[in-house]
Amino acid sequence: MPEQTKKTGALSAFFKQREVGLAIILLVLFFLVGLRNPAFTTGSNALFILEDTAIMMILALGMLCVLLVGSIDISIAAVMALSSMTAGIVMKQNLNITELQVLTDGVMSNVTLRESTPLILLILIGMGVGAVCGAINGLLIAYGRVLPIVATLGMQYILYGISHVVSDGQAIYRKDMPDAFINFSRGTFLGLNSKIWLMLAVFAVMFLFLTYSRRGRYLYAVGSNRESAAMSGIKSPRSTLLAHIIMGMLAGLAGLLYASRDTKVTQDLAMGYEMYVIASCVIGGVSVSGGRGKAVGVLLGALTMGVINNALTMLRLTGNSEFWKKAIQGALILSAVVINVLIQRAKERRVLRDRRI
Amino acid sequence: MERALNRLPKWMKRWEWILVLLILMVYAIFSQLQPDNYTLPKLLNQTRVYMVDVGFMALGILVVLILGDIDISIAATAALSATVMAVSYNQGAGIPFIAAIALMLLTGAVCGLVNGLLVTRFPELFPMIITLSTQTLYRGIAYIILKDQSAGRFPSWFAKDLGYGSFKLFGLDVPIMLVCILAVLPIYYIWLHKSASGRRIFAAGTNLTASRYSGIRTGRIKVMAFTLNGIMAAVGGFFLTSRTGSVKYTLATGFEMQAIAIAVLGGASTSGGRGSVIGLLLALILMTGLKNGLMLVYNDAFILNLSIGLLLILIVLIPNLAGRLRQQNALRRQRLSLQKT
Repeated sequence: MPEQTKKTGALSAFFKQREVGLAIILLVLFFLVGLRNPAFTTGSNALFILEDTAIMMILALGMLCVLLVGSIDISIAAVMALSSMTAGIVMKQNLNITELQVLTDGVMSNVTLRESTPLILLILIGMGVGAVCGAINGLLIAYGRVLPIVATLGMQYILYGISHVVSDGQAIYRKDMPDAFINFSRGTFLGLNSKIWLMLAVFAVMFLFLTYSRRGRYLYAVGSNRESAAMSGIKSPRSTLLAHIIMGMLAGLAGLLYASRDTKVTQDLAMGYEMYVIASCVIGGVSVSGGRGKAVGVLLGALTMGVINNALTMLRLTGNSEFWKKAIQGALILSAVVINVLIQRAKERRVLRDRRI
Repeated sequence: MERALNRLPKWMKRWEWILVLLILMVYAIFSQLQPDNYTLPKLLNQTRVYMVDVGFMALGILVVLILGDIDISIAATAALSATVMAVSYNQGAGIPFIAAIALMLLTGAVCGLVNGLLVTRFPELFPMIITLSTQTLYRGIAYIILKDQSAGRFPSWFAKDLGYGSFKLFGLDVPIMLVCILAVLPIYYIWLHKSASGRRIFAAGTNLTASRYSGIRTGRIKVMAFTLNGIMAAVGGFFLTSRTGSVKYTLATGFEMQAIAIAVLGGASTSGGRGSVIGLLLALILMTGLKNGLMLVYNDAFILNLSIGLLLILIVLIPNLAGRLRQQNALRRQRLSLQKT
C-alpha cells in the first residue's frame, strides 16, 4: 500500500525525529512543575528561562561541532575565563569616566559617562582570544594526535594559569567596566534580551552551516566514519581544527556575556560550566562518538537543563532552594539522559519490528 | 641513530625511562634553584601531600582507563565516602571507628558499582557522561548529609599518627602514609601485570569484541573495575581526610583530573589497552618533585597547574610527533627503494 504510507509519511516522519520526543518531554516537565507553582508556566518565566540559558545554548552549539567530529572540549570554561579576562584588562586600561551636568525637567543632575574601548572591539578581542585557544586545541588534537580529553584537560590547566598571570591575580569589577559592556547582556530589542538575540543569531548561523554548507556536512562525515571521509577526499584534521576554532570563538563570546551578566571577571570564571554544556548536548541527542546531533536538539537539551535548573527554584521544596538544586541536579540530569536512551531503544525496536513484517 | 635505536633491547625502549630522565632533570633543576629547601628529607616529608591520596585514586582509575573507559566521579566518591565515615563515627550511633571505615569502603564500592552497572547497561551513553552526572549526584548526597558544615574529631591515631606520623628509616623520616601506598603498589603490580584477571583487563581494553568472543566476560570485568575504582577513591579520601583532619562536601574537588593526569603521564591511554603500575609510580614521583619545586619557587597554585598542564600535553605530544616523523621517514625510504628497483 504505497499510497497510504505516503499519506502518513510527513506526520510520522515528524514524530520519529528524536528532537520531537525531547520537546514533548520538555513540555510535560514544564506543565508538571506548573501544577505545583502556577507562576512557572507564565510567559515571562519562560522568557526568563530562555534568557538564563542563552549562554549555555551558545556554548552547546559550539560543543555540538566539536562532538560531531568525535572530539570533546573540556577547556571551554577556561577559554571563557581567559578571553573575558583579556577583554576586561583592555577595557579597564582604556576606561574614561566623565562627569556631566545635564538639565532634565528643569533640574540639574550629575551623569557619569563611562567610556572605554568600543564594545565591538572588545567582542572581537574576546572571540579572537577564544579562537586562538580553540586553534591550539584543534592543532594538538588533529595534527599532534593527542587524545581530545587529555589535550583539553591540559589546556584547561594552562589557560587558567595564563589568565591568572595576565590578571596578576586581580579581578575585574563593575567599576572597571564601561556602560556599553555592562549593558551588553542587559539591552533589549523588541522585548527580547540581547542574550536571546545573540543566541538566536548563533543558532541561525550554526543551523545553516551544519545543514547546508559543504564544510558543515564534512563535520558529520568525519565524525561518522573518519576513514571513509578521508577516502572521499575530506581532510579530516582540517575539519577537526575548524570545529575547535568555532568552539573557541563561541566560548569567547559566551565568556564576555557571562562577564557582562555578572559584572565581574575572576580568574576562575565559569569553572565547571563545561560539564553542564556537555550534558545538555547529550540530552539533546548528540552522540559523543561523533557524527550524530542537530542544532535544534542541542537547543532543546540546553533548554531542558535550564528548565530543570529553574524548576528546582520554583518548586519551592522545603528549605533552601540552592541546597536542593545542588543535591538533586545530578540525579535529574542522569534520569533525563537515561530516559532519552530508553525512548531511543524502544523506537529502534519498533523499527526492527516493522521491518520484520 | 634510527638504526641504533632499533637495535636496543625492548625493555630499554620503555616509556618509563623517559619518566626517570624527567625525574632526574626536575631534581637537578630545583636542587640548584633551592639548595636549602629542595632536599631529599624535605621532599620525603612532602610526599604525604602530593603522593598518597592522589596516588590511590590514580591506581583506581588506571584500571578503568586500561579498559578504555573513564570515571570523572572519583573525587565525588572520595568526598561522599569520607563524609559517611565522619558522620557515622561522630554524629551517628557512635559506632567504633573501624566500623566507620568499613562503612566508608562500602560507600565507595557502591558508588563504583552504580557507575559500573550504568556503564554496562547503557553502552549508548559514554562513561564520561554517566560519571559526569553521578559526580554531581554523589557530591549532592554528601551535601545533603553535611550541608555547609564540616565534620571532624577523629581518633588521634588517625588524624595525628597516620596523617602526620613517620617512621625512622636510615636516619630519614618516612611518612606512614607513604609506606601504606608503597605497600599496596607491589600487590597491585602483580595483580594487574602478572595475574590472569589483570591480563584479561588489558585484553578487554585492547579489543572488547575480540575478548568477548574469546570467552572473557567483559561486562562483569567492567563492573568489577568500576567497583574497585570506587573503593580506591574511598581509600584516597580516607588518607586525604587523615591529612586535613576534617571533611566538607567539597573534599578532593578537582582530584579526578589530577588522578587522570598522573595515570596518563604514567603511560596509560584514555583509548584503552595501555597503562602500567610502575609508570604510575614514576609519574607520582615526578609530580611530587615538580609540584614541590614549583611551590617553593613560585608559591602559586595557578602556576603549578599551568606547568602540569604543559607537561601533560608535551609528554603526550612529543612521542606522537616523533612516531609520525619516523612513519614518514619509513614511507620515504620505501618509496626510494621502490624507485631503485
